[in-house]
Amino acid sequence: MGRKRKHSEAEAAAPVKDDTAPERPKRTLLGWKDKKEDVEEAKEASVSVPEFRNKEKVLVTCSRRISYRYRHLMLNIVSLLPHCKKDSKVEAKSSKGATLNELVELKGSSSCLFFECRKHKDLYMWMVKSPSGPSVKFLVNAVHTMEELKLTGNHLKGSRPLLTFSSNFDKDVHWKLLKEMLTQVFGIPKEHRKSKPYHDHVFAFSIVDDHIWFRNYQISVPHNEADRVARGGLDKMTLVEVGPRFCLNPIKIFGGSFGGPTLYENPFYVSPNQIRALEKRSKAGKFAKKIKAKTRRKMHELSNLLEPDEFADMWKDDE
Amino acid sequence: MSLGDDFVEDDEMNMSDEDGAASDSEAESLSDSDNEITEKLTEPTKTAVYNRDGLLDKLQDISWPEDVEWTHKLTVEIDQGQEAVDVNDDLAREMAFYTQALEGTRQVFGKLQEMGLPFLRPADYYAEMVKSDTHMEKVKSKLLYEKKQMEETEERRKARDNKKMAKEVQSQKMKERAKQKKDEIESVKKWRKQRQKSGFSEKGAGELDLEFGNGKSFQRGGGGGGGKKRPGVSPGDRSGGKGKSASRMNNKKREFRDSKFGHGGRKGLSKQNTAETTNDFKGGFRGSKAGGSNKRQKR
Repeated sequence: MGRKRKHSEAEAAAPVKDDTAPERPKRTLLGWKDKKEDVEEAKEASVSVPEFRNKEKVLVTCSRRISYRYRHLMLNIVSLLPHCKKDSKVEAKSSKGATLNELVELKGSSSCLFFECRKHKDLYMWMVKSPSGPSVKFLVNAVHTMEELKLTGNHLKGSRPLLTFSSNFDKDVHWKLLKEMLTQVFGIPKEHRKSKPYHDHVFAFSIVDDHIWFRNYQISVPHNEADRVARGGLDKMTLVEVGPRFCLNPIKIFGGSFGGPTLYENPFYVSPNQIRALEKRSKAGKFAKKIKAKTRRKMHELSNLLEPDEFADMWKDDE
Repeated sequence: MSLGDDFVEDDEMNMSDEDGAASDSEAESLSDSDNEITEKLTEPTKTAVYNRDGLLDKLQDISWPEDVEWTHKLTVEIDQGQEAVDVNDDLAREMAFYTQALEGTRQVFGKLQEMGLPFLRPADYYAEMVKSDTHMEKVKSKLLYEKKQMEETEERRKARDNKKMAKEVQSQKMKERAKQKKDEIESVKKWRKQRQKSGFSEKGAGELDLEFGNGKSFQRGGGGGGGKKRPGVSPGDRSGGKGKSASRMNNKKREFRDSKFGHGGRKGLSKQNTAETTNDFKGGFRGSKAGGSNKRQKR
């Protein structure tokens, strides 16, 4: 705990202090950074924009009465993102906007992933940027967790992923906004204390049929050195799926966190409740339809009488 | 849960249209709204909000500054190409995702290599992995099991094919053998007839221009009928052949008699020479053990 504070203090102090006193060397994952460079950077930094540091922290929670499959999905996501913090379950019915906002403020996180499970069947995911950021509500489908034995890949816990987006994220404004949010939430900050070096897995976000599909692959490349691929090695690269897998259907985008003015509504979205209701209704009418069909048949028969059958009396006289 | 839910959405659109045609007011109103929902964006703001400016504003708010190094973001955009992937075709969809990720990784690795940053995990770097070792063991055992199943089915199929082949070959052989047997008998009959005709004259073997096949068939004594009755014995062996091997029938009887009357061995070989004794002119009994081994070697 103490070490964490020291590190962040040194970072925060460096750009502010200017070039007066040489600070202790900045400790990065790759070794100690040289003092001279540090001072130079500080000089530059103080002159121009302060050096950008990704301070993203994600809070991950769920509602109560979440089913096991979705809980495992949430745990998988927690293990994928070292810059997240898992919190205890949130009571459902109360005005969840306010409580969750408070929770996010309390934990000092800059964004939140909230998994809400309704009727023990449907999973909704809220992705929210904290202080005043936009929030998105998704319906999650097609969930496969990492525990499935068919997903055979494995990677370092906390290594930074490569994020690939399909090109149709740039086609429309709401997709661009979603892309930015996904980058910030799913991308691990560069020198996060729990992150590991080397990039050995890749996330793939694609838009197909107006849904965002998520896949996580492990990269396996035959190599000898850490910073160079053997010649032709790129061709021998294979990806093995690690999981989890899910599909997001954006429902609404709000201007505030967990509420606020609606900025976007998905015109194609039909809630799963409506779908179920319609299915039931179609089945429910079966008996009524049968009765109607019978009466229709009767009417039809009455109106179009059959011709008298010439063979009807054939066997009558045989008795 | 899975894909079923996703695509019921599309089915539901069709269903709602049919319902709208046929039945109640409730269904009709619902299907009307559904129809409205399926129409995109030409709707009044009530049904489908799309506040582009608002979205752009928010985007500006949350974006990182423009000059942020790419290494912070690690994003790459892949062009999907023109073909729209059918969502319902699982294989094609997964292939599309796979190629997207592969292409992205290639590009990123190219960039990272140019930048000179390490990005590949060395073989001796051990750290906590996202799936535990026990889980990976399970995965491995499942993979091995599947491989074994495949191999077994392959083997079974091969064995079945081989059996078929073998059966064919065997039936061929049997036919051939039968044919040969018949031929030989025929030839012997012919020869006898010929001799009868020519009145048993002793003209010599030159007259015998009958085909006997190869000498081998004759050796067998007319094929099968007079087959070798003493298989362990070569024709020129005067010694009387090998004794019966111990693992034959009447083993118990033999054992009992051996124990009572001593071991036995081959008959009458004690006075014949072996390789060693040929050159011993002094000869004689060099001790019981030597004699015993002599006998044993003359097998």
